[in-house]
Amino acid sequence: MIRKLIYFFCCMLPYLALAQVQMSPAEVSAFKKSLQKAKEIKTLETDFVQYKHMSFIKKPVESTGKLYVQHPDRLSWSYTSPFAYKMVFKAGKVLINDQGKRQSIDVSNSKQFEKISHLVSSAIRGEEYNEKEFAVSYLKEAGGSTIKLVPKTTDTKRYIKEISLLFSGSDNLVREIILREPSGDYTRFVLKNRKINTKLHDSVFNF
Amino acid sequence: MIRFLIFSLYSSFLLVSCAVYRYPEAVGMRESEMKELNTYYIDTTKAFVYRAKVNAFKQDVNGTLLVKALAADEHRIALVSDFGQTLFDLTISPDKDVVHFIMPDLDKKFIRKEIAGIFRTMTQRTFASSALMFSGKQHYPVYVSNDSYYLLKQREVDRITKTKGTKERFTVIYNDVNSGIPLGVTVEHQQLPITIHLFLDRNQSTL
Repeated sequence: MIRKLIYFFCCMLPYLALAQVQMSPAEVSAFKKSLQKAKEIKTLETDFVQYKHMSFIKKPVESTGKLYVQHPDRLSWSYTSPFAYKMVFKAGKVLINDQGKRQSIDVSNSKQFEKISHLVSSAIRGEEYNEKEFAVSYLKEAGGSTIKLVPKTTDTKRYIKEISLLFSGSDNLVREIILREPSGDYTRFVLKNRKINTKLHDSVFNF
Repeated sequence: MIRFLIFSLYSSFLLVSCAVYRYPEAVGMRESEMKELNTYYIDTTKAFVYRAKVNAFKQDVNGTLLVKALAADEHRIALVSDFGQTLFDLTISPDKDVVHFIMPDLDKKFIRKEIAGIFRTMTQRTFASSALMFSGKQHYPVYVSNDSYYLLKQREVDRITKTKGTKERFTVIYNDVNSGIPLGVTVEHQQLPITIHLFLDRNQSTL
């Protein structure tokens, strides 16, 4: 019996380590405080891999690119593979460059892009989330923390079910963003090779 | 006079209701042996991932089109924006379609019907027992199934002309077919300002 119990716990150990649990109020407070250090971040440069998971296909659709953020209002989101596509959020406008063809982004894209770009900027700078717009919960796990945002407004609920921002335990920077849709399908953005406070060339935010 | 008017109206009604589409250069129709057509998307082990460039009502939408056969005559079709947002996700059968998700902006009856109609024609296998006759010069064989005309080149379906009444509604063109797999597909709508270009992403497809 004891052997079975040991075997059971050994099997469950990886899952227990990965399990997310709600932070206590004291832990939330400490976590928020640790994010305050991020206010010193003026720029972020990172590679990203985007995985689109859909219930009816086995492997996710994958694309890669570069993300640049410059405080307070500049963000460049460009795909490099399998296609070249650049979106820039600058001075309240969203512009796209599709292999040389420049245009304003369409409504269906811009809603989510605007939402995510604002969230990324906020997350990077450790800013508070709008609790009128989202129900915010704080979770902890081995190796990091997660902020879960559940939309409160009917309009946002129609296309986003939940947003998860995963922070790495070592530097408290966002390492992953998961956007879950009402259908249960989701998009996962994994940020890699993050560099902070490097000088970003103006051309990054141009076409 | 009244009798003449009634006769004229009745004659006009008969002419309109009996009017059918006239395929260019066709002189008639003949019976043929039952022919199985458009078998590109019947293998349930395959998943097709296409880079999609859509221009609809002067709006450009780029993204990924996913095509998966759930059964020989049932397909799951989803269009995902570059940013990962699902724009629509439908299951299409010969006589019905099920909406799993559709962006609120697209959730209008005529748009849903048009999307289902286009992708049903593109993916659906069909059987035809009629073919067109052409006079004089050599012509690629054209089979007729209900209101659709299937033009074959090298024994593969090269294009499908979908009609309604006397007019072409839209055309599906398989640009490059390699080992029974369409590497490119173009949809040109003749009644609405819609053009769709699809380019197969071999690396992300399961073929």
